[in-house]
Amino acid sequence: MVIFRIVEMTSRAVGTSWPAELAAVLGPDSVITDPARLRTYECDGLTGYRVVPAAVALPRSTEEVAAAVGVCARHGISFVARGAGTGLSGGALPVADGIVISLQRLRRILHVDPVNLRAVVEPGVTNLDISRAAASHGLYYAPDPSSQQVCTIGGNVAENSGGAHCLKYGFTVNHVLAAEVVLADGTVTTLGGQSQHLPGFDLLGAFVGSEGTLGIVTQVTVRLLAKPAQVRTMVADFATVAAAGDAVTAIVAAGIVPAAVEMLDNLAIQAVGASTRSVYTADTAAALVVELDGPPDDVAELFDDVQRICRDQGSTKIMVAADAEERALIWQGRKAAFAAVGRISPNYFVQDGVVPRGRLAEVLGRIAAMADEAGIRVANVFHAGDGNLHPLVLYSEADGEHDRAERLSTEIAELCVELGGSLSGEHGIGADKACSMPRMFGEDDLATMLRLREAFDPAGLCNPGKVFPTPRLCGERPGPYRPHPLETAGVIERL
Amino acid sequence: MSAIVTTYRPADLAELRDALTESARAGQRLAVAGTGTAQWGGLVDADAVVDTTAMTGLISYNPTDMTVAVRAGTRLADLQEVLAEHRQWVALDPARATAEGGTVGGIVATADAGPSRHQFGGSRDSVIGMTVVLADGTVARSGGHVIKNVAGYDLAKLFHGCLGTLGVVAEVVLRVHPRPAATATLAVACPAREAFTLGGRLIAESLEPAAVEWTCTRPRGPGLAQRAEAAREQRDGTLLVRFDGTTNGVADRLRRARALAGEHAAEGTPEHWQKAGRLAVGAPGDTVLRLGTAPDQVAQLVMDVDRLAATHAVDAAMTSTLFAGVHTVRLRDAPAAAHAAVVESLRMAHSAATVCRWAPDLRNELAPWGDPPPAVSLLRAVKRRFDPDDRLCPGRFAPWF
Repeated sequence: MVIFRIVEMTSRAVGTSWPAELAAVLGPDSVITDPARLRTYECDGLTGYRVVPAAVALPRSTEEVAAAVGVCARHGISFVARGAGTGLSGGALPVADGIVISLQRLRRILHVDPVNLRAVVEPGVTNLDISRAAASHGLYYAPDPSSQQVCTIGGNVAENSGGAHCLKYGFTVNHVLAAEVVLADGTVTTLGGQSQHLPGFDLLGAFVGSEGTLGIVTQVTVRLLAKPAQVRTMVADFATVAAAGDAVTAIVAAGIVPAAVEMLDNLAIQAVGASTRSVYTADTAAALVVELDGPPDDVAELFDDVQRICRDQGSTKIMVAADAEERALIWQGRKAAFAAVGRISPNYFVQDGVVPRGRLAEVLGRIAAMADEAGIRVANVFHAGDGNLHPLVLYSEADGEHDRAERLSTEIAELCVELGGSLSGEHGIGADKACSMPRMFGEDDLATMLRLREAFDPAGLCNPGKVFPTPRLCGERPGPYRPHPLETAGVIERL
Repeated sequence: MSAIVTTYRPADLAELRDALTESARAGQRLAVAGTGTAQWGGLVDADAVVDTTAMTGLISYNPTDMTVAVRAGTRLADLQEVLAEHRQWVALDPARATAEGGTVGGIVATADAGPSRHQFGGSRDSVIGMTVVLADGTVARSGGHVIKNVAGYDLAKLFHGCLGTLGVVAEVVLRVHPRPAATATLAVACPAREAFTLGGRLIAESLEPAAVEWTCTRPRGPGLAQRAEAAREQRDGTLLVRFDGTTNGVADRLRRARALAGEHAAEGTPEHWQKAGRLAVGAPGDTVLRLGTAPDQVAQLVMDVDRLAATHAVDAAMTSTLFAGVHTVRLRDAPAAAHAAVVESLRMAHSAATVCRWAPDLRNELAPWGDPPPAVSLLRAVKRRFDPDDRLCPGRFAPWF
């Protein structure tokens, strides 16, 4: 694995007394400085980027988070908030000489309020635990990223996480009513409120998805929804990826909003088949998972419509989940697909670009052509309903394919922008794609976004080096994937 | 208040940028106006006005992508008409869009929304991309043309409810939804407390209402204090529950909801919704106040409104999007001082309050805003970064900034 080790990326002139101060405000058992233990925090789910922080703080309360940030503010130390560390864009990548503030000890569910249809939780609570806590009231928390068993709501707020059911239910930002946040100067404030009507502009909406660069969330109020009365799920096979893409377009054109529409191509199905009790047809070129939920009569009628549309679009086989267990198997395969790909390829990159839905077939064709040309295999498993691609670029580090694969992966993301889409649908920009941002946004766009950042964090201590391209990381004229100037200068090295 | 001597009426983004650049050079303080359907918050003290009503029309619309890009001066009602040809709509139904021709930009800048916010949220939840021009002429885009997109900060959220103080919205990209094959409304005569309980039951039964609104248009006028309790007994107010879906699905849900609602339920009509909409918009001479509370506070709020209306001899009517916790109170037929007294008292109990329509002379009696929200220092900090010279809509958020 290739690792960028950032040898000299100091956040600021570092004083000597701050670790002691941190230990004094949090207690010695809440501060990690032992180099061996610090290694645990050197990366998140994007393991190709690693930086060992100077210290890790493990606060237990909002007050302790504020105190830790206060120490950072006084000493000019950068800090990076971290939940479960499952992020895929390096959003929780530490800053050398900075500290990581882990929210793992803030994991209480403070209040489930079935009357007002909401829950108040601490940031370290996992996504799935919110739904578990609400289940006895017939309620659940809708956004469901694939990592929902481990990823935390604090991280979901930072990344504006999505999941398979975004098409109908939206993203984290549509489900967060209020957040208590610690700002970069160590003060605590509340964004949002009890109601959808709030005077003043929508700071909460801007905060959600800011990838930890505007502050640290210490308490979240989320909306809860009533569980749908009926859920129906099918897998429809298609002879070509393009036909499956056209079927998605036809379903949407019919005015149907499924809860989820997921696509797996043959390579992804092979991977899933190799690792789980697969319900997918081994030799189909593409499979669509379509799930409808809602009131029974509506679902029954639309589910028939979807099957008819799939047949009209040339589906070769439709498998309808007979019960909850079969549905679980379908989703188990889909949600385990990323990990399963590890069984058919020693290494892989996960992409996260988005295209307008109408261009799905086109983009998949072009990705296939690009993959052929590069001599690299690309598996596709993604949220077809909202055009959010997750091409998995398969390569072998040992065979020296890394650079070629990385280039292809970047080209795919940039192709999405070229087709009118986005660099990222749900994984975030983080450290991974910051240098690609100029492909999508102009200088004035980025400068305007930075005005917001400066309003929240004038000293730039809060998760620096993420989202925005910096001359230091991307070169004087930020652009994607030029030869790395720090690397040429010997400041960073490849391990 | 200085007299407005200049009106800029740009027709597109480039002209808007030029107008703002020119005004920056001249050091003008600017008001921003669409069709002028909302004068929310404080009065603006400006030298010039940017009139957005010439910035109209679709920029792009591909029905299969279910997104549409429009110039900000486009009337929402006009946009809905175009989308209806493709059996689609933007899931926003603020009353002033149909009643008064509110523009897309104006509705975003006021964070206005209607009953459908129950299911779809407000304009913050429908806007997926935005182009704005800042006070210094900087053109900034954020978001994009795809529904799912987390690249960069979502500046559109900042402009949601900014009342023109951060910049001028030039172009807006919205997600659209399919128009349901069928829609039906359940109307139940009942007071707010019962409406909230019944609405909660319909939700818990997974009937998936698209809108749950309680509306009470009865004037709560002088002399009604003593009769308030009696009026509630007389099933004062109406719960409106809208179901969207397939023909069979909607019929089935309406039937089940009706059974749950009991003897006071009937099928609602478009007129029910129009009445609620007229109430939310108000008429010249009225004061219209929008309040946010936790949803289960609605009954308490209704009691407060009843009591204050009686005490100050004001006709009060209200409509509440129950589970969004959004309430619109219309005050009518009393001197401005009486309106002011009611608003002051409501603000003390519920600080999230915006005056959306000002009765004549009310501005002499009432500060534009009540207590600031907890994050007011952040609101100020953002304002300073976006408009350091305070040239855009000065006075709109006075005294907060």
